[in-house]
Amino acid sequence: MAEVSLRQLSKRFGPTQVIGDLSLDIPSGEFAVFLGPSGCGKSTLLRMIAGLEPLSGGEIHLGGARIDILPPGDRGVAMVFQQYALYPHMTVRQNMAFGLRNIGTPTDEISRKIADAAEMLEITPLLERKPAQLSGGQRQRVAIGRAIVKQPRAFLFDEPLSNLDATLRSRTRIELARLHQRIRSTMIFVTHDQVEAMTMATRIVVMNRGQIEQVGTPMDVYRRPQTRFVAGFVGTPAMNFLTVAAVSDEAGFARVSLPDGSTVTTVIPTKALPSAALTLGVRAENIQPGGGIPARVDVIERLGERTLIYANLRDGSTIVYDETGDVQVSIGENVQLAIDGSNAHLFGADGRAIRG
Amino acid sequence: MAPTRICLVRTGGQSVAEATQSAAAGIGIPRLANALFVLPYMLILLVMLIIPLGLGIWLAFQDYDMLGGWNGSVGLENFQNLLDDRIFRGTVRNTMLFVLMTTPAFVILGLALALALNDRLRRSAMLRAIFFGSSVLSVTIVTLVWRLVYLPDRGMLANILGTVGLHSIDPVTSETWALPAIAVVTVWWIIGLPMTLFLAALQQIPADLYEAAALDHASRWRTLMSITLPSIRRTIVVVAVVEVILQFQLFGQALLITGGGPNNTSRPMVQFIYEAGFRDLQLGFAAAASQVLFALMLIAALAQAWVGRKREG
Amino acid sequence: MQTYRRGSSFTDRALFIAVALLAIIWIAPIIWVVGLSFKPNEVLMRTTGGIAAPPFTLKNYTDILASSSVFGWMLNSAIVAIGQTVLTLVIASLAGYGFARTNFLGRNALFVIVLAALAVPEQAIIVPLHTMFAMFDLHNTYVALIVPRVAFPFGVLLMTQYFRAISPEIEEAALLDRASRFKIFWRIVLPLSVPAQVTLGIYTFLHAWNDYFWPLVSATRPEMYTLTIGLASMQTNFAQTEGIGFLMAQAVFAGLPVLILYLFFQRYIVSAVAGGGSK
Repeated sequence: MAEVSLRQLSKRFGPTQVIGDLSLDIPSGEFAVFLGPSGCGKSTLLRMIAGLEPLSGGEIHLGGARIDILPPGDRGVAMVFQQYALYPHMTVRQNMAFGLRNIGTPTDEISRKIADAAEMLEITPLLERKPAQLSGGQRQRVAIGRAIVKQPRAFLFDEPLSNLDATLRSRTRIELARLHQRIRSTMIFVTHDQVEAMTMATRIVVMNRGQIEQVGTPMDVYRRPQTRFVAGFVGTPAMNFLTVAAVSDEAGFARVSLPDGSTVTTVIPTKALPSAALTLGVRAENIQPGGGIPARVDVIERLGERTLIYANLRDGSTIVYDETGDVQVSIGENVQLAIDGSNAHLFGADGRAIRG
Repeated sequence: MAPTRICLVRTGGQSVAEATQSAAAGIGIPRLANALFVLPYMLILLVMLIIPLGLGIWLAFQDYDMLGGWNGSVGLENFQNLLDDRIFRGTVRNTMLFVLMTTPAFVILGLALALALNDRLRRSAMLRAIFFGSSVLSVTIVTLVWRLVYLPDRGMLANILGTVGLHSIDPVTSETWALPAIAVVTVWWIIGLPMTLFLAALQQIPADLYEAAALDHASRWRTLMSITLPSIRRTIVVVAVVEVILQFQLFGQALLITGGGPNNTSRPMVQFIYEAGFRDLQLGFAAAASQVLFALMLIAALAQAWVGRKREG
Repeated sequence: MQTYRRGSSFTDRALFIAVALLAIIWIAPIIWVVGLSFKPNEVLMRTTGGIAAPPFTLKNYTDILASSSVFGWMLNSAIVAIGQTVLTLVIASLAGYGFARTNFLGRNALFVIVLAALAVPEQAIIVPLHTMFAMFDLHNTYVALIVPRVAFPFGVLLMTQYFRAISPEIEEAALLDRASRFKIFWRIVLPLSVPAQVTLGIYTFLHAWNDYFWPLVSATRPEMYTLTIGLASMQTNFAQTEGIGFLMAQAVFAGLPVLILYLFFQRYIVSAVAGGGSK
């Protein structure tokens, strides 16, 4: 059953359409991540669910009840903000109690809920401190704690990791995933960082220009991107895109020729192909040395466990491929590359992926 | 949360779009009840400032005095009388002279002090406190102090002039020195205001500009002329405009030090308004004089702001 | 500038000495007046030279304490200044929040009016204002001394500016915590604005305490004088006076409260001036 249901949502700021006719169902207990570049409307969408941004059209349902007609406090959602938005003049305990007091929760129940949440998040020693006396990571936990005590039907996270340093960010990712497994609540998490999306999500919603590009599990989105945008946005380094010069048939599968004359045989049926301009998409990890495509090494990025090599094909186009961490290679060197056609994608002129 | 409840009740009969419009309650959603926040202030503003302002403009065209009552509208007669009034013309001249004497002093001295004291040294903080401190005193105390300074024979000025063998003068009773004497008191009193504004502006200049200049071998003078001053140009204009507006309002110092004398040579416009309105009780006449003052201030301030912007552009 | 300074130490030293000399000139009148206020009037009749030489006396101050009216004026000043400060804080905070953070039909138009009111000097309205208060027979009351000054928009603009700088996320969090708009203002935003409240409060207090023109025309009965007006009323017949020491003691006595306030709250006063003048 869909816990959160967005139905034909739209949002305009004056004449600018930010979100257009967007529908989405999120099943109960999912960790859904809205992933997209800045300005794609993902934060606006989250704020619309929270009730902080009015809708221009559509409906929002939570747990079977329509909530877009309710004020934010009555929607049964809790939000963790980008800057945490802790009340600076209140102690951690008061921060967590504020929302419960406002709905008339009995004092002993408030204390119990705070004690439980504090224990789960390991912030019990911090309860009497004020936000200014906390580190960034501690503030983050308090903000989560403030959301947990309300026992909401859905948690909303608005890029809450973007203010943490890299180490703390990766640690918090793990903790959030663990937290989700423990309390099994529906969570919606907004980020522009695909690593966060891949590591935490049970379902990724890739957004671009106010539209949903693809909904799927992390590996689904990575392995079978439905659009060229998704293919380019998810994965590091970004997928290589090469213009297709011509297509021929090889045992029912498409065999594409690149502008430099080399060919790649895919596993995509020829009959599925449109006649219009095609683009071949292939990830760095699916290109290896030792094939028949000549290229010249341009830039070498050593990442430790692997090496990214940017090379120019004969027609001047650039591709990036993976090598082992200690590979012996130098700039200007000529290499012969092979493209793994079984993991290659073809995109039509409209940007959509072509499958069998 | 009364408005919320109303929305909930109403949604039944409304179209979806309308219902969603009125229900979401982000902090920027228009709601008439929010006007209650500004209502108390707007009421006081209306009764204590806007209505008097309108009433004052109306009064300026009436023959109205406390003793003779209201004798109807007289058109521009009050303004004509002001124009013909030798004393009023004198006060306009005195006020303008005073503004011309004090404003450059405030800008130049205020800027000089700010430049000299813009650091984190303890001694600079102490000196800033001294230059600013006098401005927290009331005009009564300031004038009391300075009348004692200016006192003939026994005043501080007389004492100092006496020790260097000069004959003591009494600026308060001198037609030449009365107005400059008031100007000195005024600069002494509130030099802290422009100094503070300049200090605030100087602190806004990014430190890396100075570091870049130092790497470019700019001399101290060069740095001042091509980095510091251009960076605070806007503040210089603001200070000049603020000071013109403030000094046009000269009143207490003149009334309490010289009483406007001798022979009206230090009588400012505000004192004229005070005497016409509250001593002679000619309210229409006084209101007309107020409007002239207001207009002169606006013109002077706008002209300055205009010149400042033109130079900037 | 404060972190990086180039140039010879000789220039620095010369500059400092020049400014320090100027500061001595600046403070000299005050020191002179304070010093002479401890000298007997009979001595001052003859000469005012040599403030450091005895005899000294406290008689000038005991004379002030003996005069009943000064205390009454001081009380009036305190009532007026505190009343004006409290009223201004309440009203300016409400309005500042309304303008900074809420939305309602006509908000921008009203805000433009408030900004325009900044340009209206006291002198342009004092005659009709006086007439209005006379019509309702309100002169020589605390209401007349307190209320008109609350209309000046500086406080509202200061608070508006301050509230705008508070992160809207905090208010949104409170909204999700089911707080009403007034509760957000009262429990969240107002406690966060304490520094601005202190700044505006001290600024208002000083202005009210030092106010001259309006109390001069509104409080005409000696028992309603504020300290500023009362002191001025005693400054007649100056050159002939036999009580210079007494006058000096008055100046010191009246200046003391604000100077003490200044010593304690210098930072806030300076920041109010720096924030206020730039508008």
